[in-house]
Amino acid sequence: MASIELIDIKKTFGTVVAVDNLSLEIKDSEFVALLGPSGCGKSTTMNMIAGIESPTSGEIRFDGRDISNLPANKRGIGFVFQNYAIFTHLSVRENLAFALRVRATPQRDIDKRVADIAELMRLTNKLDWPSSRLSVNEMQKLAIGRSAIAKPAIFLLDEPLSNVDAAFRAFMRTELKHLQHTLNQTMVYVTHDQIEAMSLADRIAVIDKGVLQQFGTPEQVYNTPANKFVANFMGSPSMNLIEATVNGEGSLLSLHFGAAGAIPVAPTSILCSHLQACRTRNILFGVRPEDIALSAPDDPRPGLVMQASFVEPIGPRTTIHFGGSVPALKVITQKRFVTELGEAHKLLMPEDKCHLFDPASGKAIRAEVAHVDA
Amino acid sequence: MSSGHAAKTPGKLSESLGERKSRRIGWLLTGPAQALLLFIVVFPTIVTVYVSLTLWTPLDGQPWTQAYRWFAWFDNYVEIFHDAKLFSALGRTLFMVAIAVALEFALGFGLALLFVDRFRFRPIYYTLILMPMMVVPAVAGYMFLMLFQSTGPINQIISAVSGQTFDPTWLANERLAVSAVITAEVWQWTPMVFLILLAGLMSVPEDQVKAARLLGANELQILRRISIPRIKVVIAIALGIRLIEGLKLFDIMYIMTRGGPGVATETLSLYIYKRTYGDLEWAYVSALGLTIVLAMSLVALCLLELAKRRGRQRPAGV
Repeated sequence: MASIELIDIKKTFGTVVAVDNLSLEIKDSEFVALLGPSGCGKSTTMNMIAGIESPTSGEIRFDGRDISNLPANKRGIGFVFQNYAIFTHLSVRENLAFALRVRATPQRDIDKRVADIAELMRLTNKLDWPSSRLSVNEMQKLAIGRSAIAKPAIFLLDEPLSNVDAAFRAFMRTELKHLQHTLNQTMVYVTHDQIEAMSLADRIAVIDKGVLQQFGTPEQVYNTPANKFVANFMGSPSMNLIEATVNGEGSLLSLHFGAAGAIPVAPTSILCSHLQACRTRNILFGVRPEDIALSAPDDPRPGLVMQASFVEPIGPRTTIHFGGSVPALKVITQKRFVTELGEAHKLLMPEDKCHLFDPASGKAIRAEVAHVDA
Repeated sequence: MSSGHAAKTPGKLSESLGERKSRRIGWLLTGPAQALLLFIVVFPTIVTVYVSLTLWTPLDGQPWTQAYRWFAWFDNYVEIFHDAKLFSALGRTLFMVAIAVALEFALGFGLALLFVDRFRFRPIYYTLILMPMMVVPAVAGYMFLMLFQSTGPINQIISAVSGQTFDPTWLANERLAVSAVITAEVWQWTPMVFLILLAGLMSVPEDQVKAARLLGANELQILRRISIPRIKVVIAIALGIRLIEGLKLFDIMYIMTRGGPGVATETLSLYIYKRTYGDLEWAYVSALGLTIVLAMSLVALCLLELAKRRGRQRPAGV
């Protein structure tokens, strides 16, 4: 129904650069999450798509048409605010009907569509309530329904689930996914919650300090982070990032982790080709806590022998911290893994699950060019 | 009284003692204020009621305490309803107030809409717009008295712009005098309406305006469906205050026209003033004053009730 293109969008507030030369191409009926920490410029980007704010420079296109100068009320966008912005002086029914009333829709059509959307949002029995009496969860549904009623081709959601309780958030995640399939709209979803982004989005745009860090599917962003920031931001607990030095020549390489020891790198592994692409000897070595396997200290396979320093049991899994200060590694064990504090284990790191980053620029070092759009 | 109840809990002895003591302290503390109130509100009201029931005037050579000698029950109140001059003064006042308040509202609301958004030098313009309100009404009267002289700046400007000699004597012409007086009134009191309405408009949540805009509403629709419904009570208050204040219109007219030419700009207040100091009919004026206070209280009560009901009203369904 509608694709969105952001071309070199820049937004400055005085001397502060909120969004810096951001380019993004969102396909028709795609669900894209703009993910980043607070103040990274994701909401500003959203506001520029909606027309609430205009970019300092750059161009925004819907379906290839430049709409940079089109006012917000002409863009035909559904927008759900973080705090819902329910018209509390109106009834639930009138809130839902608002978008149709301002378009001078005949009363008969309004009645029908309000009834339909109320059914979809499960608000039918509350239609004649003053909207101020709704619960937070119902306001959330009303806000979505109110925007959906005009059948916008593009739907923007600004952290819509940050105010609702945990149980309802999980419920709404499935509802939203379902809704997107029903309405078949292009959806842009702003969030700082990577789990929300991972579970909902077709593609995730990770933004930090106004700059797009990576744009790709949840798998791409998670498995092949483009840089240190993305690697660190995605995943909970976050990726282990430790300093290492590369020793050796040609295909006979090894990684040294200071006091923790060294690991020889198999000459045929992908890690070896990554390392060969390195131009520096000092690198930042990354591995996800769930990718590390634990073994007995006398296991002959290459790995680091470290002592458990802290154990965090979280329901079905346990996070074990290894090493004192530098280097420190987190490991997630899937089963309830029993270990004593101070007990030594061998940490095995599968070579295809290791990530390398340039310590200066933070960029990922890879032999072949992976899916990096940034 | 509430402190008396509170004192009952500790014990029987302190109970009666504490209650009596705290009551006495209460009387002592509020005594001066009560005496003052008695002196400045209750006493004059009683005197006014008393005098209004007689036909006494200071010309009789007797003090007001002797007014009972001319006791006449409700004759004065009956006379009010036969006072043709009074009703034409009331009619003129209502006419002028209606036009003035309508203009003040239109201008004030328009300005308030402009000032909701930020712009360069906004605080400076804001201060300038509020200035007229700070001017003493009598001074405003003098200003406009001078502005509307036949050789005054207003005529000079109109002459300069039109290129023809324009020198009507504004304040001596019945129609022009009314418009001159209304102009002064509007100049002075638009800022107040502006201030109240701006406060109202600023209280409309910004995200609701944004939400309405994103739902496709244009500025006019946002105003009609979001802003105005949300500040109904504020609008009622602004109009109510100006209406009641307008009915008391005095200073500007007194300075500019003294109610003239003829009685063209004679308002209710000016009429009462003339009956008081020209005719010295103090008994009649007392009755008239009390009646007006009563009538205005009723109007204010109705407005407040209306505002309250509007505020509480459940939104109308489809």
